[in-house]
Amino acid sequence: MSKIKVIACSGIGKAFGLMAREAVLKVTNELNPQEAETACLAHIITGDDEGKEKVADQICITVDGCPALCSAKSVESESGIVKAKFRVVDEMRNHRGAKAGTGTTLTEDGWKITDELAEKISAKITELVEEAKSNA
Amino acid sequence: MPDVRIGVLSCSGEECLGGTVARLATRKVMEELREGTTVSLCLPLYVAGGEEERNFAKEHSVISVDGCSKSCARKATERFSGDVSDTIVISDILGEDVALGKTVSARDLTEEHYIMVDKVAEEICKKVDKIAAE
Amino acid sequence: MSKSYAVLPCNGLDKCAGCITKEVAINLTKESDSKIICPVLYRVADARYNKIAGENPVVVLDGCATRCASKLAIEKGIKISKKINITDEAKANNIVIGSGLVVGENELKLADIVTNELLKEEEQKKDVESVIFPESLEYEIYKKDKFVFRLPKGDFYFNENDCWVYVIGNKARIGVTDYVQKSLSDIMFFNEPALSSDIEQFEDAGSIESGKAVYEIICPVSGTITAINDKLLEAPELINKNPYEEGWIAEIELSDFESDKELLYTFDTYFDILKRKVDEFHV
Repeated sequence: MSKIKVIACSGIGKAFGLMAREAVLKVTNELNPQEAETACLAHIITGDDEGKEKVADQICITVDGCPALCSAKSVESESGIVKAKFRVVDEMRNHRGAKAGTGTTLTEDGWKITDELAEKISAKITELVEEAKSNA
Repeated sequence: MPDVRIGVLSCSGEECLGGTVARLATRKVMEELREGTTVSLCLPLYVAGGEEERNFAKEHSVISVDGCSKSCARKATERFSGDVSDTIVISDILGEDVALGKTVSARDLTEEHYIMVDKVAEEICKKVDKIAAE
Repeated sequence: MSKSYAVLPCNGLDKCAGCITKEVAINLTKESDSKIICPVLYRVADARYNKIAGENPVVVLDGCATRCASKLAIEKGIKISKKINITDEAKANNIVIGSGLVVGENELKLADIVTNELLKEEEQKKDVESVIFPESLEYEIYKKDKFVFRLPKGDFYFNENDCWVYVIGNKARIGVTDYVQKSLSDIMFFNEPALSSDIEQFEDAGSIESGKAVYEIICPVSGTITAINDKLLEAPELINKNPYEEGWIAEIELSDFESDKELLYTFDTYFDILKRKVDEFHV
């Protein structure tokens, strides 16, 4: 089974975009480096065949900052099989009143929420890998 | 100086260091160095159909800031809005080996990385000033 | 005429208020032809309860602000006629609910009060049907940098707190303007006003909250709240998407619009105010 693609929106305007990016980096670099990898969202859209091949017909997880769902929409438009769509804003709703930071730097709360999200993404990856094994 | 607004569309490439530097340099220009003159455009929103981003890029000058020679930000602008006014490719400034190095989490940024960010931000500012003066 | 409801209690075991919802539900079945919708069974087998909800006005009983029963009702797509929040009722009736899960004298007293309120015979009111609001609107726009601020043309009025009201006859719909939703950025919480409550012009009609701030919705008109946009409870981002169409906040039966109007702005006046505010604000 090829690695699961975990694609962040990395939106530059809001802290949520940075949190999405950082959560994905944590997952692909630390938590699940053997099972998951990331790809540049912009390259998937603009990179012609080379970019599209990264996600086309591949198992993907998207991680968006906000309800605009840029990563989910873009990956689906390039035929990525999106098995889970995470949104940082949903994690923020579990931490009412928390100030996450800015698009440049995160606060301690922002990092804590990012790490929690990374754990959830990691759990999903594990679930998908198990599912693939039992279907094989 | 006339009330100029210049868009800066940066990649945030998750696959290489150049993307991280591009993002941070653009934010530095927008937040500190050329606050009020520059408007950062969100590339993922742009490619996903964000009308505000695309319309702004059609009506204003845009500088694309790309981490590597794949130039996703420039290509996206050309595809959805029109020609860019200027471009920055991080690998041209910092060298390909550095730009294509492994991406870095904001947790792990070093002094060296911040120096790179400053260098790129300075280049962006030069381009902003040049367009603003036209 | 005795009322008959489909009663959906949260039946929560996290707080005593949840236990009180069960008491109210049982009271209603004893004293009327009301039927209980079990929240646990409803999650896994909804056919029977959907039928009951279709045939009777639905009363949702939430123990606390988590509003589990309301959220379940929204998830199942059933129309809510009345919502009761036990914690709010306790405060309104000066009753202190115990901290444990034992339903004692105070708790039973509160359950009786709520039951009686629900069963109280009222003069027959004609059905308050939602007004048919236009599905799409025409806008004037004002741009700042990349941001676009819309303002609807037509029969809209605005207050100085950047809330709008759209009036058809003696019914109105209210919401916030693009200036508010853009200033707040991603809206994550919607604290709705109380359904069926009377409200005065410039009173709070709930609030919306983002990571940046909590914004009190200042009602532009006086009247009785007849409908809440329940979709906002699960998806408050609809206000960001379009605060004039799918992001509307509440509907109101007006009590004195002719007086209220004197303190509201028409489109032309408010558009100038909006432009000034946008120019001064860094979004």
